Formats: sequence, C-alpha cells, structure tokens
Amino acid sequence: MSGVLYLAWQYLAYNRWKTTILVGSIMLIIYLPVGLNVVVEQSGQHLNARAQATPLLVGAKGSPLELTLNTLYFSLDTPELTTFREATSIAESGLAEAIPMYVRFRSRSQPIIGTSFEYFAFRGLTLADGRMPALLGEAVLGATAAETLGVGVGDAVVSSPETAFDLAGIYPLKMNIVGVLEPSFTSDDNAIFVDVKTAWIIEGLGHGHQDLANPDASSAVLNRTADNIVANASLVQFNEITVDNIESFHFHGNLDGYPLTGVIAVPNDDKSGVILMGRYLDSEANNQNVRPRDVVEELLDTILTIQQFIVAAVFIVAVATIATAALVFLLSLRLRRREIDTIGKIGGGRWHVASMLLAEIVIVLVLGCVLAAGLTALTWRYGSAIIESVVMA
Amino acid sequence: MRTTIAPWLATLVVVAVLTACTREDSQNKATTVAGEANNSLTVVTVNYPLAYFAERILGDYGSVSFPAPADVDPAYWSPEPADITAYQQADLILLNGAGYAAWVANVTLPRSRLIDTTIAVRDRLIPIESDVTHTHGPTGDHSHGGTAFTTWLDFDLAAAQATAVADAIVAARSEHEAEFRAAFDGLAADLEALDADLMAVAEALGDQPVVFSHPVYQYLERRYNLQAISVHWEPDELPEEAQWRELQSVLQRHPAKIMIWEAEPLGETRRRLAELGVQSVVFSPGGNRPATGDWLDYMKAGIASLRSQ
Amino acid sequence: MIEIRNMLFQYGEGDFRLDVPSLQVASGERVAVVGPSGSGKTTLLNLVAGIARPQSGDVVTVGQKLADLDDGATRNFRIRNIGLVFQEFELLEYLDVLDNVLLPYRINNSLELDSQVRQRAAELLKSVGIGHLRDRLPDHLSQGERQRVAVCRALLVKPPLLLADEPTGNLDPANKGRVLDILVDYAAANDATLVTVTHDSNLLSRFERVIDFSDFLGRAG
Repeated sequence: MSGVLYLAWQYLAYNRWKTTILVGSIMLIIYLPVGLNVVVEQSGQHLNARAQATPLLVGAKGSPLELTLNTLYFSLDTPELTTFREATSIAESGLAEAIPMYVRFRSRSQPIIGTSFEYFAFRGLTLADGRMPALLGEAVLGATAAETLGVGVGDAVVSSPETAFDLAGIYPLKMNIVGVLEPSFTSDDNAIFVDVKTAWIIEGLGHGHQDLANPDASSAVLNRTADNIVANASLVQFNEITVDNIESFHFHGNLDGYPLTGVIAVPNDDKSGVILMGRYLDSEANNQNVRPRDVVEELLDTILTIQQFIVAAVFIVAVATIATAALVFLLSLRLRRREIDTIGKIGGGRWHVASMLLAEIVIVLVLGCVLAAGLTALTWRYGSAIIESVVMA
Repeated sequence: MRTTIAPWLATLVVVAVLTACTREDSQNKATTVAGEANNSLTVVTVNYPLAYFAERILGDYGSVSFPAPADVDPAYWSPEPADITAYQQADLILLNGAGYAAWVANVTLPRSRLIDTTIAVRDRLIPIESDVTHTHGPTGDHSHGGTAFTTWLDFDLAAAQATAVADAIVAARSEHEAEFRAAFDGLAADLEALDADLMAVAEALGDQPVVFSHPVYQYLERRYNLQAISVHWEPDELPEEAQWRELQSVLQRHPAKIMIWEAEPLGETRRRLAELGVQSVVFSPGGNRPATGDWLDYMKAGIASLRSQ
Repeated sequence: MIEIRNMLFQYGEGDFRLDVPSLQVASGERVAVVGPSGSGKTTLLNLVAGIARPQSGDVVTVGQKLADLDDGATRNFRIRNIGLVFQEFELLEYLDVLDNVLLPYRINNSLELDSQVRQRAAELLKSVGIGHLRDRLPDHLSQGERQRVAVCRALLVKPPLLLADEPTGNLDPANKGRVLDILVDYAAANDATLVTVTHDSNLLSRFERVIDFSDFLGRAG
C-alpha cells in the first residue's frame, strides 16, 4: 500500500499544475456551499442575537430595514431623520426607556454613535480602561475601534467630513478619548460612542464661540446695538471642547426639534410594549416603530432563498466539474497507457496499477476536502466579521 | 475503554475550565456602568435644598450626596469628571430645573434617572431676559438669558419640588412607600408653616419697598408680594462709589428701609447703609449646606431676620 | 532455462502467426535473436516472459510452465525471475533515477522494499557510472544514462533470466557497447541467462548463439 501511495503522490507532485487545478476545483465545489452555509448561519445568529436583544425601534417613516441596519449595526446609510421629541415623548409616556440614537458621522472608518448614558447598560458594555464620557466632547471607543485607529485613553479622535469637499458643512470636532470598552463581539466594538449632544455639535447644531461681549472678540463683531451684537464670519468657533471653553457651548432653539436617526425603546413590560406599538399604528403618524427581530427574520429569509439558489447553481457547477475531472482522468489514462503497460510488463500486479490510479483520485479528493475544511474553519472564525463590515459599509 | 476515554475527557474538562476562567476574568476586570443593584438608594442633587428634601424623605433607606464644595455657589459650580462619574452612578439625580446648574446641559447623565423637580410647575417659572442678544449665522437673534432658578424661596414651589422628590423616591423603592410618604408629610407641614410664616411677615411689611442686594430673590418677591428692586452687591466686597450713587438714585424713587442680603455684609457696608436709613437683613437663599444647622434653620433664620425689621 | 514446444501464437484473425515447434535456451547461455522486422522477436520475448499467452503449446521459463500460472501468479513469477530491458527504456517520467530502479519493489507485494534493497540499488547505479544522478528525473538524462537506469531496474531483483529487446537500438555506438557490457557481465557473473533481440550485427560476437527468427516466421497467406 505504501508503494502505491508513494507512486501516486510522486505522479501528482510531478504534474503539479494539473493537481493544483483539480484540488482547487474539488476544494471550491465543497467549500462554496459549506462556507456559504457557515457564513449565513453565523451571520444569521449574529444578526438575530442583536435583533432579539433590541425590543423596539422608533424612527421616521421609511425603510424599516434601513432603520434597523443603521441603529443596530451602524450602517453607513442614514435613514430618514426623526427628532429628539420622539425620545422625550416615549420617556414621558412611562411605557418604555428611550435611548436616543444619532448614527450619522464617522471618524475615518469608524462610526460615531451619538446616544445616551443608558446605551451602555442596555448593551451590557463594560469598560476595559478609563471611564464613561462625562463632559460633552468626550468619547468612549469600542475595543476594535481603538485598535483600528491606534488610540487609547488620553488620545483624541476627529470627526470626518460627510463629503470630500464639505466646505460649508460639518466642522471636524476633536473628541477626547476617556474610555475604551471591553470587546463585546458585536457592532459596538467598532464604534465611537459620544453623548448625542456631542453628535449635534459635530453637525454644527450646537457650538461654542468667543464671548462677543468680550473686548477680545471685537474683531468678530460686525455690528453692535444697545441690545444685540451681530458677529461676522471671522467669529472663532471652537472645534474642540475643553474645560476652558465648555461653558461657551450652547444649542439654539428647543432640543426637542433636534435630529435623531432612531430611538431604541425598551418597554417596561409586554403590556407597555403593546401599548407603545399601538401609538404608531396610525398611518398619519410621522414615525414608525419596528421590531428588529421581525426585520432581521425577513432579511434572513431572503438571504436563505438566495443561498438556496446559489447552492443549486454550485451543485450544477459541481456536476460539471466532476464530469470534467473524470474526463481529464480518463484522458490522462490514455496518455499513460504506455506507463501502465510498462508496469504490467515488469510484473506489477493488476491490483497495484488500479490502486495507484485510485490513490491519485483519493489524494486529490482528500487534499480538496482538507483545504475546504481549512477554509471553512477560517470562514467560521472570521466570516461574520467580514459580513458585518460589508453590512456596515 | 477507560484508558481511551480518560485523555479526551481530561482535555475537554481543561478546555471548559480555561474558557470559563477567561470569561470570569474578563467580567471581574470590567468596571460596571451603573451602581451595584441593592436595596439602599443613592441620591445625588445639584443643590442643598433638594439634598435636604431628599434626606428628610429618604431617612435611613439610602444616602444623599451633594458634591459641590461648601465654599462655592452650586448654581455656578463646574464639577470635575470624577464628580460627574458619581452622578452617573447614582440611582436618582435630582435637578432643580429652571436652568439651575448650567453644567447639566454639557455633561452626560443617565436621562432615565434625572428628575427635574420643577417640571410640573414650569408654567410658574420666572423668565429672565439677558441684557444683550447676539447674532451669528442664519438662525437670527438669540439670548443667553434664561430663567430665575432660586425656586425654593417660594415655599409653595418648594413644596412642589419636595413632592417631585418624594414621587421619585417612592417610584424607585415602592416597598417603603408608607415610610416615605409619612416623612414627606412632615416636610410638607414644615414648608407650609414656613410659607404661612413668611406670608405674615410680608403682610406686615405691606407696600414697604425693599432692596435685594443681588437678583436672586425673584420667587420670594413674587410669592410674598414684596415691593423690591435688585442691585448687584456682594456681601464680602465693599461697594464702589458708583454703586453707592446708584443705590442712592434707586432710593430716591424706591425709598427702601431694608436691604436683603445673601450673607452677612461687611461691617462698613452695613454701617454706611444704616447712615442712608437702610437696615441690612440676611436671608440666605441656602443654595449650599450651612456650617451649622440645616436648610430649615436657614429659612427660619431669614424669616426671623425679616420679621425683626 | 527456456523451453518452448509446439507453440502456436497468432494475433487477431491470423494477421500474424508465430509457430515455434521447438526452442531451447540453456541456463547461463547468452543468446542473440535476430530476424527481419515483424518476424515476432518481441512476441517471443513476451511469450517467454508470460506477458502474452500462446494459443497452444508449452512455454517453460526458469523451470516454470507458464500455462500453470494465472495472471497474478505469472506477474509475481516474472517480477522475481525475469529482468526486462526495453528499446525505449520505459522509465516513469515522474520518478527520479533511484525510484525508477526501485520500481519493481513498489508495484508487487511479493517483493519487500527495505534498506538493503535501497543500498543495493544505489550500488548498482554507482557500478554503471551513474550513482551521482540518483536524484535526477529521466528527462534530464542522456539516452545512454536512461538505458543504464533501465538496466539497473532489471538487475535489481537479481533475476536468473534477462530478456532485452533491442537494448541498444536507440544508443550511440559508445553507449551500445557500454550497455551490452553491463548485461553480459551480469550474466557471466551470476550465471544468468541472457536473451537479447538485436538488429546490430556488430554486437553478435558477444553472444554464444544466434537464433535467426526468420525460421519461425509464419504468416497467414
């Protein structure tokens, strides 16, 4: 047996390109459906777990999927905006805890999540280093975000402009990092968490500037009357909140009108949840409420359907591949007629020749399976992270 | 068979233990976000009057803290991050509302644990227009003025604030509702007595004009119908001549015989005021904890001081 | 060593016919087989080696009547007792020189490959002057080197009978002599029987007897 295996291995090694192509083909036709299944299963579990842990979302009327992906997985696509009034209204109803979410801005590749203090307890997030944000302009980073940006407690991150040439838009705000979270193996690991007011400051809805009544700011005064001072464009607006300038930061108008991408509602009990959902049944309402687990279930059903189509296609390709491989093998047998005759003439047993040829097939299959298993293991380990980055992008 | 199974079993056990230890370690290493869940209620406030109300109502069923240093006006105090962390970890955060403690707007606090004690009476809050507005950008004029915030000097409003405190404490620890309500009843009775007492004093004063050394008595003025004008004098500073002239100008149209101070004025100031026929009366707003006594003592002392004029 | 009696062999519908009433080769004899192309010389070697079977008659090789053995037993017998050398060398292109020499020990369970066999193979290669080429693949060898590898393969099992079919047919004159020397020297040293098919009349002097195959040629009319 070892002689047969040795000869088979030597033949395969000598014809390395043919062997590589055959092994690669076998690997792919095994890995594609299996790997896809692993990814879909894992992603499904991952998506589902997050969705199950989030009872209700409230947002502006629009795509429930967009609202869910943005609020739960911090996707780049921003849904229609609702207002802070919605969060206040839910909190005041006494039916649920309302966690405001403003997921719109980024610092390089990491999403900036404007939210409230309650978010951390709700998601079970704990600190690995530092403390929770206390002052406006402070940020707490997820474990992966800190690693990706190469920052830690005491460093800073800067918000990125929304578009490449955001000349008249969002000012980059420098935010001090006061804490880094333990890994949670969810989207939260990639996030930069700030107070929702800090997110509004990034947008320019709140700002801090020189005191116009101060003589130092005289160059910024365009016009001064007895009861009003008009500033010119040279008025210095701070792009970093420090202990020295924090008191100058303010918001104009009623905060209730300020934007949110969504609100996470955590009902006090099932009955409260039902009553809360009933408030949004009116088709005239500007807002919608969404049960993330329903949205994700629908999404996963769609993914499953697509998966089935892909598996069917892969099956057809597999049949074709196996037929081709068989043809290649038969053709190579013809080409090896002389070699087989020589072995027979020298005195090689018929069984030996057959075994040698069979061993070549077995080795190719085994190698293909092993590689497919290895790829599947890698997919099992890293697949869901890749999917999540695709969803977030 | 036993010799074949044992190594696998041992490996499984080791792996399971290592996994459990890792999880446990990470949990032990972590800092929890909210305070430990136990029966004792932790309450933090932004000023002393609210701390006093909470202490009266809560009794031995929790702890009340008020982190501002004793020598600062809590309305203008800016807490350090460590102080804010203490607020974040409390079960209840009692706010005065009416724009008191502007720092609250610039920090991150758990909204679900914030109690605005004047939200139910916001229609009774007194707005203040700033002297000067400013304009920049497309949003037009806006002011940095706000609302008068020494709401507790109207003892009826103080009772409303105490009610809000009691309701919040009962909601947090409903198993002791009876005790909390009983304690609140005692506090409410004291506030009612203060209200009646000061009403009587104010009635005795009638239309007699008074001067407030500082514009922090708006609610006192409104509730008790005092005819008052405010100046901007500090008790620990000698007024400048321009300020004396301003006062004399005020006295000409508003012949007050009493100036109400937040704290004991300097002897020289008191003497010079006396020369103008104005007696100094100390009625501390009681925003911070006194060296001795409590908030009720503060208020009683103020009323007594006013009564003696 | 070889005895053929009343043997008749033909392909297909009598396109080719080999009729050998009698043929003997003594043990230790060195015999050259000559004859025109298509006369059946290679067929004779195949019949003696048991690669082909006659329609009738007896073929006795190394004392064994081949008709008494089934296919598997014939292969086992052949690999242990007969060393075969081919005109086209017939090396496996994907095995190096040493592995080609060791091939018989990998294709038949009746032979056991051990360290002694490997040692013997290495010595054989050295004895024919190509010991330094043991790790080379056949397509990196000259014609003469390849035939020497094939000869070593045939000699490794120490067969009592060597059958060589035009072993020098594709070699230059220098290598012709070299390869034939190896075969003849082995036969002489081991008292082995050597039967060689050759077209080269210059080599006939190395043999004790020459069999002219045109005597046995029978073609269907």
